[in-house]
Amino acid sequence: MQIRDYLIRRLMILPILLIGVSLIVFTLSRVGGSPVGIYLSHEMTPDEVAEIEERFGLDQPLPMQYLAWAGGVLRGDLGWSGVSVAPVTQVFPDKLAATMELSVAAAIVAVTLGIGLGTFAGARRDRLPDHLTRIFSVSGASMPVFWFGILLLIVFWVYLGWFPTGRSDATVYASIAHPTGLYTVDSLMAGNLAAFWDAIWHLVLPAITLGFGTTAIITRMMRSSLVEELGEDYVEAARAKGLPERLVMKRHARRNALIPTITVIGLSFGFLLQGTVVVEIIFQWPGLGRWLADAVLRGDQATIMAYVLFTSVLFLTVNLVVDIVYAYLDRRVVLGA
Amino acid sequence: MTSAPDVDPQPIPRSLVAAVKDLRVHFQAKAGLVHAVDGVSFEIRDGETLGLVGETGCGKSVTARSFIRLIPSPPGVYAGGEIDFWSTEARRAGQRPIDLLQIPQSEMLRIRGDRIAMIFQDPGKALNPALTIGRQVAEVFLQHRSGEILTALDPNPPALLRRAARQRSSTFERLLLKVPPWRGKMAKLTRRLDDLVAKALTETQIPNPRKIMDSYPHELSGGMKQRVLIAQALACNPDLLIADEPTTALDVTIQARILELISELQARLETSVLYISHDLSLVKEICDRVAVMYAGRIVETGTTEEIFSNPLHPYTRGLMAAVPSAAHKRGELAAIEGNVPELVEPPPSCRFSSRCPFAVEICRTTDPRAIPISEEHSVACFAYETGDPTELPVLEHWVS
Amino acid sequence: MTDVIDTPLTATPVDGPVAVRVRRFLELSRQVLRNKTTLAGLIVIIAMISMAFLAPLLTTPNVPDPYQMPRDWAALNQPPGTPGHILGTTSDGGDVLYGVIWGSRVSLRLSVIVVSVTVTVGVIVGSLAGFLGGKIDEILMRIVDVFLSIPELIFALAIAAVLGPSFGNIILALSMVFWVKYARIIRGQIIHVKQNEYVDAARVTGDSRFRIFAKDVLPNSITPVMVQATLDMGSIVLVGATLSFIGLAEAGLAEWGVLVSKGQVGISTGRWWASTFPGLMIFLWALAFNLVGDGLRDVLDPKTESR
Repeated sequence: MQIRDYLIRRLMILPILLIGVSLIVFTLSRVGGSPVGIYLSHEMTPDEVAEIEERFGLDQPLPMQYLAWAGGVLRGDLGWSGVSVAPVTQVFPDKLAATMELSVAAAIVAVTLGIGLGTFAGARRDRLPDHLTRIFSVSGASMPVFWFGILLLIVFWVYLGWFPTGRSDATVYASIAHPTGLYTVDSLMAGNLAAFWDAIWHLVLPAITLGFGTTAIITRMMRSSLVEELGEDYVEAARAKGLPERLVMKRHARRNALIPTITVIGLSFGFLLQGTVVVEIIFQWPGLGRWLADAVLRGDQATIMAYVLFTSVLFLTVNLVVDIVYAYLDRRVVLGA
Repeated sequence: MTSAPDVDPQPIPRSLVAAVKDLRVHFQAKAGLVHAVDGVSFEIRDGETLGLVGETGCGKSVTARSFIRLIPSPPGVYAGGEIDFWSTEARRAGQRPIDLLQIPQSEMLRIRGDRIAMIFQDPGKALNPALTIGRQVAEVFLQHRSGEILTALDPNPPALLRRAARQRSSTFERLLLKVPPWRGKMAKLTRRLDDLVAKALTETQIPNPRKIMDSYPHELSGGMKQRVLIAQALACNPDLLIADEPTTALDVTIQARILELISELQARLETSVLYISHDLSLVKEICDRVAVMYAGRIVETGTTEEIFSNPLHPYTRGLMAAVPSAAHKRGELAAIEGNVPELVEPPPSCRFSSRCPFAVEICRTTDPRAIPISEEHSVACFAYETGDPTELPVLEHWVS
Repeated sequence: MTDVIDTPLTATPVDGPVAVRVRRFLELSRQVLRNKTTLAGLIVIIAMISMAFLAPLLTTPNVPDPYQMPRDWAALNQPPGTPGHILGTTSDGGDVLYGVIWGSRVSLRLSVIVVSVTVTVGVIVGSLAGFLGGKIDEILMRIVDVFLSIPELIFALAIAAVLGPSFGNIILALSMVFWVKYARIIRGQIIHVKQNEYVDAARVTGDSRFRIFAKDVLPNSITPVMVQATLDMGSIVLVGATLSFIGLAEAGLAEWGVLVSKGQVGISTGRWWASTFPGLMIFLWALAFNLVGDGLRDVLDPKTESR
């Protein structure tokens, strides 16, 4: 019962938060320029401009302007992107796919490495592997993502030449169809291994760069969780039953240590999201982050505001989902034992 | 029972289950090496319940855990002595004992949960909150009886199944087992396991075992959880059950029933029990013999009757005096003055000397040794060094 | 298991003569410094702050604006080790070492201003919410929640973009985004303390609400705020550098993020130094403050395992 109440409360607050965020975005866009600026493009005729001005325009009182804008958003009209010379909503999906692919790759790296390292360190508490891992974690949390990326580029691209920049080799990319927009998936669907390999090879450096900070956070959490669980009585009781250490670790300690780690994994999603901006700049990745960076440099309000809206909605949703999953998993906490 | 060198060593020990000989367990702490257990010796006989009594911190839990080497290795260190163990089989075959402190880890894993089982103080914490009861109890069977269970079902089990039974499947194999025909075979194995688990649970008078098996620990009461743990411990019919304060965390009303249960099961299964407690009244009820421990050493051993009716060691006397009972005049609740001494690299001395009203010079400079007073009764105190057991000094009861 | 455990000095009611408080402070400091990594972090911080203060002495300040990187057309893209330019020069001929040293000054300014502003605003808002409770608390906390719904970097980025590219705007943007955490901390502490008996006791003796606040609530709330502020000193510089890297600061500014961005261009031709050294400084700055912040947390708030 308690889960349900808690979740209902969270769901009820959600619309308030969304409205709040939209208000902030609207305020920002007004500070940044005229209310119609984001809808205008070079190609428009004076008549079209006048029509837009009337719909969203200055002669209306502020609340009406907000409602007009909000209405536009809900209808899918997010304005005109000066950077891409196209409506925002048209450009969005492709760039989203590219960023998603990168983020998922980074997440996979971060989660597998993080849980693995954290378990490794936690099981060897206060011994050398643990100390080394702790150094790694603190470094990861303090590391400027863009600097790390540049370092990796210098070593692996300039000097060693092992990995490329960008998302793909143009000819290979053009050789397959792109139904989902996800290069890896599309190449597998087309059965084209060369393309798949091309995709992976381009993903390596950016994914590692993006995932590094998150790996550090997850490692730290997993390690401390595991150490805590290993100190619990049931672990000792499991050993007393004659279970070999690997089973005690896997089935008992680690399983329970994963529960709090999952929240961290969910929360570090925000970290990943913010990292995509600079990672895409450095590695020339054609995703949302680089689009945003270009928009910032050229004052393209529409893109910037759309980006803020999108990421906030995503952020809120993910946080909610994480809370649901955590509430479901931790029966101890939820059912009040 | 004796470790004093001037008494004839028993040529053949009477059917013993375990013999602790001069056990020493130390802990590396910031302040130095703590001598938590410092030369402990006692025996556990076939079919008996031996009580190990002492206040918190005296080393009884460490001693208990040493039987199955549960002490974590930094910071703990098994610094000396041996724990000899005879399984029922070994006894019947007249074999020599094994030293639990020396056997390889693989053998120790086979003994834990199978020949020697342990139940802990707080049943709520001794169960994994994320797994069902059935799953956890089944682990014991899987770990120790998998071979027999499997061959009973299928005289020639395939390797895949064999590994599954011994809990050794890789992730890939586990996925494979979800597919028929293996799925059916696993189901048969699981059903057999469930039967065994249910049977074990009924032994401890748990009502509705099938339902309990599907429950999670937090859904059960304290007393029920302890029954589950007892059932789990006795599942493989161990030769020795170590009970570390099994009723301390339970309601007084439940305590009595759990104690009854342990006694009854022990008698029926012919298990020997090492019962750790700080509660003398409980010990008096179910133990055949008692060993009193203080600051890492055994100070007195004897039958329950002897210890309670004729306590010899000043510490034991103090304990008896401190137990409120109808025998005392009202208002006469004695407390032993002073505190347990620091156990960091202590010099040779009687550990109780700083609190003992009868302490003399030798008590502070030499380690006492166990002196036999009667066949079962021995005490480690210089006051009894006269050599003639009929001439016992009379130490006054003290009442503060 | 008998191992000697240091009893940590957790936040307990702070009352009594000044001498007691001073002694406790010294004790805490000693405990914090006992941790070697925390000590290392502290040394690095002191070194960097000294470097910031001594910048005009360590280098010849650029005219007319020392915060702009000097340009030397005669010494473009010199590698490290060239006489006069130990760390090399940028594509404009700017001395990388100059950028490293003056960058620390810029970062110090940034972090001190932003942390001061955010702590003040956060404490005020949090106190209002916690103490006044009711509707005001609800409204303020909803605002906090809304702010927390937008990822920090992106929020600050949008604000700075809208205001125009300048480092001053970056400072402003960060101040507008980072105060929320403090509001939450203070409010939480106040609510926790409100439920505590000794506040009721103080009430009974007639202390005014404000005095209760100043004497009982505030001192106890200081510790988590201190920990967070220390950690923020590090992360503010990280986020600030990220924003300037993206291009939200003035071109040519002697700031670490700007320098890394500038130096990026030369990488494909093997000119690694213009980005590496300034970036290293950002890393060291954030690392040092993280280490000290963690060390503080371990001593002041040991229940929360460092995560």
